[in-house]
Amino acid sequence: MFLAELLDRTGLDVLEHLDRQVTVPVIDGLQAQGDLVVLPLAWLGWVLHDWWELPPEGRELVRGEAGNNPHTLVADPGTCRMTTWLGDPERLAIAAFENTAPAWLVHPEHGATGIAPGRWFVRRQRELGAGFRKPVLIAD
Amino acid sequence: MATRAAALRKRQRDVSPEARQTIKEAITTLVRSGIRQSLGLYWYGQQDAYWVTPDSGDPELELWATLVRSCGWWWPRDGVCVVSERPLAIRTDGEHRLHCETGLAMVYPDGWGVHAWHGTRVPSWVIEDPTADRINGSVNAEVRRCAIEHLGWAAYIEQAGLRVLSQAPDPGNPGCELQLYDLPGHPPSRLLLAVNGSAERDGTRRRYGLRVPAGFDHPLDAAGWSYGLTGAQYARLQRRT
Repeated sequence: MFLAELLDRTGLDVLEHLDRQVTVPVIDGLQAQGDLVVLPLAWLGWVLHDWWELPPEGRELVRGEAGNNPHTLVADPGTCRMTTWLGDPERLAIAAFENTAPAWLVHPEHGATGIAPGRWFVRRQRELGAGFRKPVLIAD
Repeated sequence: MATRAAALRKRQRDVSPEARQTIKEAITTLVRSGIRQSLGLYWYGQQDAYWVTPDSGDPELELWATLVRSCGWWWPRDGVCVVSERPLAIRTDGEHRLHCETGLAMVYPDGWGVHAWHGTRVPSWVIEDPTADRINGSVNAEVRRCAIEHLGWAAYIEQAGLRVLSQAPDPGNPGCELQLYDLPGHPPSRLLLAVNGSAERDGTRRRYGLRVPAGFDHPLDAAGWSYGLTGAQYARLQRRT
């Protein structure tokens, strides 16, 4: 899949300077897109429930600090279901999803990346807060 | 009056949510934070431009349009009204966030203004003279982050005299290194310096620093922690963009 084709199919867009003629790789394993990480659900060994179908237009997982730069999860209809009902002891969880065909994560600055069929878990990134405050989530 | 204004706003639903977001949240709320609470109830003028349609033919809305064309905030009181000037300049970045790297991001005719870095309001030194000493002395994490971004991570590390404790290739980000530094201050903490997985408009890769707990000696452990993973798990990262 070329980036141009994926953007055409999903109606999403990325910044002008990103090359649209690159093939979007489909990764079967741990990967990071900016401040998000996609990891195999099996690593956590959790049983999740309340799955629902990913809508055809996809789903924004998280937005940047200024309200833009969303990470959007998209997939062909009927190939991906997700849940946001998660009890993450690290408090970094965004969503979990199960896909039977490649799913795509699209971001204006980072372009797109493919996620191989499987069961996955999405977390945000954190850093230490100032002084003795609790960790803060990164929003790029 | 608040009810009348709200009713008028409701009639003007055709403004795009994006424009609303940009003007109302990105700019108006930032400038408002410069007004002391003690000044009490105030009304917007020009800031209402996002919902006031000029020449609408609606007499009530025309009154508001006149305000939008004439002034900024205003405070009606018993027999007296305080009216603020409109700003001389509003400077923003490519994403319409209040931002100026060389001076005031918002300037008023009397010289008062607001310094801002990509939408975050900052003290003047962040824009005019960011130094490692001032950054280390600042208690506000957001202000520190903005100042370091302005100064540049490389310059900050040099000025602050930070020494690399350890470094390792960033898995999934070919050719890029993760570096771990000790940060000054209490409680003890460390700095993980990483390279962005995607290029900027000018083709460069931005470096960014993350504060991490002092217990980590290896950059992979520190990077893993930032995502709630162990260093061994993070080492399996296949791709970073």
